[in-house]
Amino acid sequence: MKSHGQSTTQRRTLARWSKYVVLIAAVIAAVLPVYWMLTISLKTEVDQFASPPRWFSFTPTLAHYQDAFSTRSFGRYLMTSAIVAALSTVCAMALGTLAAYGLSRFRLRGQLDRRLSVWILSTRMFPPIVTAVPLFLMMRDLRLINTIASLVIVYTALNLPFVVWMMRGFFKELPRELEEAAMVDGDSRLGALVRVILPLVTPGLAATAVFCLIVSWNEFLLALILTQTDAAMTLPVGIAGRVTQYEIKWGVMSAAGIVAMLPILVFAMAVQRYLVRGLSLGAVKG
Amino acid sequence: MVRDRALPYLLIAPTVMVLLALSIYPLIYSIKVGFQTGSGETAQWSLANFSRLLSDGFFLSALAHTLVYAIVALTFEFLLGLGLAVLLDRSLRGRAIFRAVLLIPMMIPPVVVGVVWRLMLNSDFGAINGTLKSLGVNTESLTWTASPKLAFASVVAVDIWQWTPFMFLVLLAGLQAIPQEPYEAAMIDGASVWQTFRHVTLPLLRPAMLVALLLRTMDLLRVFDQIFILTEGGPGFATETVSLYIYRAAFRFFDFGYAAAMSFVLLLLTNIISIGYIKLLQSQEAA
Repeated sequence: MKSHGQSTTQRRTLARWSKYVVLIAAVIAAVLPVYWMLTISLKTEVDQFASPPRWFSFTPTLAHYQDAFSTRSFGRYLMTSAIVAALSTVCAMALGTLAAYGLSRFRLRGQLDRRLSVWILSTRMFPPIVTAVPLFLMMRDLRLINTIASLVIVYTALNLPFVVWMMRGFFKELPRELEEAAMVDGDSRLGALVRVILPLVTPGLAATAVFCLIVSWNEFLLALILTQTDAAMTLPVGIAGRVTQYEIKWGVMSAAGIVAMLPILVFAMAVQRYLVRGLSLGAVKG
Repeated sequence: MVRDRALPYLLIAPTVMVLLALSIYPLIYSIKVGFQTGSGETAQWSLANFSRLLSDGFFLSALAHTLVYAIVALTFEFLLGLGLAVLLDRSLRGRAIFRAVLLIPMMIPPVVVGVVWRLMLNSDFGAINGTLKSLGVNTESLTWTASPKLAFASVVAVDIWQWTPFMFLVLLAGLQAIPQEPYEAAMIDGASVWQTFRHVTLPLLRPAMLVALLLRTMDLLRVFDQIFILTEGGPGFATETVSLYIYRAAFRFFDFGYAAAMSFVLLLLTNIISIGYIKLLQSQEAA
């Protein structure tokens, strides 16, 4: 009896340890490539090309960061990316939140509220390459190619369905009685929205906005098509333009990559609680 | 009262107009151009673009690449993601940290993922071959992105690296939403670990699985960014997907009609598969 109990305990310990081994292997697989890029961004060219590869023993230098962001135009791309992400997020949040409120709080004739919601979501489902050509032609006709405005407009539309769908979910979680009480107290419908409802969905608003920022910041295909000049390029387009050149400055690329990645990591950690909900468009509540 | 009746429409109208202008109009325009030859005044309705598609070996192989890419990546991402989710479902020391760190690949902009893996896979100074070399492996034939078959395997592997965390995250959320009672019942019935997993966990996890698979499938069918950076569809044509080929047709050869026809096929494919998933989801909800 005693030996049996011991072997069960042993087996449990073994199971626990093998669990940790698998998880640590997965963590290494997830992080190591990124760490390698970090080291390349901090290495002199001699260390970059050293064989065997130098994972830890190298003299760090910030020269590539300086090269990328003050000598080359990556500082400018960074600014463009930040402006485009911020403006398109503000536009999408403003329009989308109002629509979401309309769609979650009113019964429209013929189930129009439900149908419109589904239709809005479905516009998010097209592969972006499908609308890329017409968007390019539209922006060309409007003389907006190579402008920040073109990206702000396109990204607003890109994020709108997401904002509507997320905020609709957050609004639906609040009981209707909240506004009704405020309206009995003399508030108008919109007054009740601003004074009572919005404060209650602030975490949802913040999480949704962060997701929009991430999408706009990461977007590549449409930015590639709509911006080709240094003055209008976003960071992903700038990086891509350098990667496909003949002689690649790996240190500069890596430095730009690290800088492009950092804000997203910070943002994503900030919305961890809503990550599942955001990534599954509200379909799975984490 | 009248004002209040108009209010929802006023709230919704701006969003609907933006989407009509920037999603629906481009979509209709694209479909129209695909079914026409010539442009402007001389445009004529025709199926020429589509018949050209059927005899275009490059398109057909891009389509095959896209499907193989999607199926292989989806399978691995799903199984690995499910495995990790099951491991992390139970109480475990350091669970929150494991979860946060495992999500990192998914958070990296796809373009940067391309850079990361060019640095890893470079056959001269890349970390993988460098490490193998120092272990005494002959790396001469391991040109990860330069030989066609390896290049295809590499881009698929990079996708698996980046997106397994997504599957893991959604499935973990699904697991944690399963109530305790069915597990307790299974334990009382004396079910084994495997039986419990097979007959309790899997059926209850099905909605989360379908959502995760649906969203991943849609993204896999449109894959563009990482491949563009890693191989630009090469060497030759080995890693060219439909999105890359459409991009090339439209913005290298300015053959908008042909690009539009291919877009139409991609859209159709995405829709058919998505509707399949959604039907499965609905039958789940009805049951």
